[in-house]
Amino acid sequence: MKSRAQLVYRALVLLALVLLAFAGLGFRLVDLQVWRHDELSARAEANTQRRFWQTARRGDILDANGNLLATSVPAETVCADPFLINGQQSLVARTIAPLLQMDENEVFQRLQPRLYKNSKGEVCTNRYVVLQRKVPEDAWLKIRAAMTNLSVAVDESRMTKAERKEFRNFVFCLKQYSVFAEPDELRVYPNGALAAHVLGFVGTRQTNNTSELFGYDGIERFFDSKLSGASGWRVTGVDSHKHELVQLRDQDVGARDGLSVQLTIDIAIQHIVEEALANAYREHSPQGISAIVLRPKTGEILAMSSLPNFDPNNLQTITTNNEANVCISRLYEPGSTFKTIVISGALNEHIVSLNDTVFCENGAFHYGGIVLHDAEHDHFGNLTVQQVLQKSSNIGASKIGIKMGPEKLYDYMTDFGLGEFTGIPLPGEVSAHQFVRPPRDANGKPIWGKYSIAQIPMGQGVAVTRLQIAMAVAAIANGGVLMRPMLVKSLRDSDGNVVEKYEPQAVRRVITPETAHEMVEALKTVVTPDGTAPKAALTNYTVAGKTGTAQKVVNGTYANDKFVVTFIGFFPADNPELLIAVVMDAPKEGGHAFGGALCGPVFHEIAERCASYLNIPPDNLPKQETMQVAGNAQ
Amino acid sequence: MAKNKKSQAASIRFGPALAASFVCLVIAGAAVGYVWQKGQVIQLGKQYRIAESKLAQLRDDNESMAKTLADMKSPLRLDQRVQELRLGLIPARPSQVFRMPEPMTQENNNLPRQFAARPNQETTQ
Repeated sequence: MKSRAQLVYRALVLLALVLLAFAGLGFRLVDLQVWRHDELSARAEANTQRRFWQTARRGDILDANGNLLATSVPAETVCADPFLINGQQSLVARTIAPLLQMDENEVFQRLQPRLYKNSKGEVCTNRYVVLQRKVPEDAWLKIRAAMTNLSVAVDESRMTKAERKEFRNFVFCLKQYSVFAEPDELRVYPNGALAAHVLGFVGTRQTNNTSELFGYDGIERFFDSKLSGASGWRVTGVDSHKHELVQLRDQDVGARDGLSVQLTIDIAIQHIVEEALANAYREHSPQGISAIVLRPKTGEILAMSSLPNFDPNNLQTITTNNEANVCISRLYEPGSTFKTIVISGALNEHIVSLNDTVFCENGAFHYGGIVLHDAEHDHFGNLTVQQVLQKSSNIGASKIGIKMGPEKLYDYMTDFGLGEFTGIPLPGEVSAHQFVRPPRDANGKPIWGKYSIAQIPMGQGVAVTRLQIAMAVAAIANGGVLMRPMLVKSLRDSDGNVVEKYEPQAVRRVITPETAHEMVEALKTVVTPDGTAPKAALTNYTVAGKTGTAQKVVNGTYANDKFVVTFIGFFPADNPELLIAVVMDAPKEGGHAFGGALCGPVFHEIAERCASYLNIPPDNLPKQETMQVAGNAQ
Repeated sequence: MAKNKKSQAASIRFGPALAASFVCLVIAGAAVGYVWQKGQVIQLGKQYRIAESKLAQLRDDNESMAKTLADMKSPLRLDQRVQELRLGLIPARPSQVFRMPEPMTQENNNLPRQFAARPNQETTQ
C-alpha cells in the first residue's frame, strides 16, 4: 500500500501539470488576444470584411427641351484570373477575343500568368488582369454564354477517379470564374457628332481601384465637378463564398450621382445648322465652316457648330484638325462685319448721321503712305453712311474711323466685348486681348500702328473670335445692350429637380436704343438687291445683317486667294428672335469668295427652317399670302 | 404540528420547482427567440440584397431604355426614317400657319413662351 506521502506527491505533480497546462493555455490566450491582437484582428477582418466602392453615375447633358445629348449607360470591365485559366489561354483567347473586339494574340498575352513576389517574399501568380473596359452589357452576356459553353477536349478515360474529380473542378472554375466582369460606365452621345464641340468628350482615370470618367473638353470638362458626383463606399462582411452579408454592414455611404446639365442648345436647331453647314461644306470645300444661332434678347445660344467635327462616341475620330471649337478658340480678322461696330460708335457719338455723305475716293484712298481699296469692282464716289454699310465700302468705313479717332474707336471695340472673354461656360476660349488692346503712352492714350486707324475700321489688323463678333452684332439687335452668351439653362439632380437655374445676364449698354434702331434700319439695306447679301433675304421676314470678306494672312502677308467670309444677320429685324452668324474659312472660290454670296444662302437655309420650327410670327408676309390667310380665317 | 410541518415543506418544494421551470422556460424561450431573430435578420438581409440588386437592375434598364429613346428621337435618325419611308415631309410655309389670338389671362401670362420674348435687362454700368 502506497504511503500517504506518495499520494500527496502524485496529487501535487498532477496539480502542477494541470496548472502548467492552464498556464500554457493562459499564455497562448494572452499571446493571441493581447500581444498579437492587432495583427490577428486585421487578418480576421481581412477574411470576413470587404470594402466596396460605389461609383457615382455621371450626370446627363440635356438640350433645352430635355432631350438627351450625353448620357451614361451601364457597361462592364471584363477581367480574367490567369491562375484559374491554367494552360487554356489559347482556347479562352480564341473564344472571347472576337466578342471583345480585340486581337486574339493580345488577349492571349494578357491571359499569361505572371509571377511576382508579395510583401512577405512569397512567389505568387497574378490573379487579376483587365482585358477590356467599357464593354456593353449585351457583349458581356455573349462572353458569359461563350465561356459557359466552353468545351475542353481531354480524354477523361485514362484519368484516375481523383484526377477526374480534380479536372472537372478545374473546368467548372474555368467556365464560371476565370473570366468575370466588374461594373463600369459607358458615356454615350445618342446624336453622334451633333454639337460635338459644345459637348466635348470624356476620358477615363483610375481611382480607388475603379475606373472613373472625367471631362476632357467642352461642357463635359467645364462642368466636370458637377457632372461627376461623389463616389460612395460600403464596408461589410462577406461569407465564405464572398457573398455580402447585409446584417454585417458597417459603413455604408451611398454614391451621390452627378448633376445633369441642361443647355440652351436646341437639338432640332443644332441639326438644322449642321445639315446646312454640311451642304455648304460639300459645295464650297472650305478649310472650315462654322455657325452660331442665338437669341439676341437673352444671349441664349441655340446652336453652335463647326466643321470638320468629330464623333465623341469614337475618340479615334478626334484629330488636331477637328478637335477645337473654332467659334471660341480661333481668332480671325472679321473683315467688313467690323464696320457695324465702327459706324455704331460714330452714330452713338453723333460724329456722323446715316444721311451724311462720305467721299469714297473712287476706290483708292491714299493714307499714311499706303493705298486702301474697296472691293475688286467697286469705285464708289459719294456714299451716305447708310450706303457705306449697304455696299460695304472699306474707304467709307476707314474715313468714319479716322473721324472718330483711335481712343473712341478703341472704347467702342472694348465696350462691344472685343478683346475680353465673353464668359461662355466652355474651356479654351481666347479673348484676343493682345489684338484689340493697343499699347499705351505715358498719358494712357492708345498707340496704334501708323495705318491702324485706317485699317481697323474695315476689319483688318484686328482679331476676334466668331462668338465675340456675333455677340457684338447681337447687342445692336438687342437695342444696344450687350448680353453674356448663355449656354447653360439649369443644373438638375437625378430626379429632375432644378438645383441651380441660370438667367440671362446683361453685360452693359453699349449704344443708345435710338442708335441701335438706326443701325438696324441701315443693316436692313444690306440684304436688298443693292446690298452685298441679297441671297440672305427671307420671303416672310425682314432681315438685317452684315457681310464680311477678309483676306487671310499667309506667311505674314495678306493672301489674294484665301479669304474668310462671313454673314451675320438677325430677323425679324425690328423684333429679333434669332441671330445667325455663318463664317466660312478659305472656300475653294478663293479670290472670288464673298460673304454675301457664300454665307448668305447658308444663313437663308438655316433661318427659313428655324423660323418654321420655332413658329416665329412672320413680319413681312407677301400681300397674296396675307390675303389667303385672311380668307382662311373667314 | 407534524402535519403542518409536512404540508409546509411540500408547498415550499413545489414553489421553487415552478419558479425554476419558469426561469428555464424564459431562458429557453429567449434562446429560441434569439436564434429565430438571428435567422430572420439573415433572411431579411438576403431579401434586402435581392431587392437592392433588382433595383440596380431596374435602374440600369431604365438608363438603357432612356438611351434607346434618345436614339429614336435623334433628329438624324428621324430624318433618315422620313427619307426611308418617303413621307415627303416638309416644313409648313408661314402662310400655311394660322395663328389664333390667345386670350390674355393671368394663367396665360405665367406660361413659358415658345419663342424668346424676355424683356431687355440693363445693367447699372
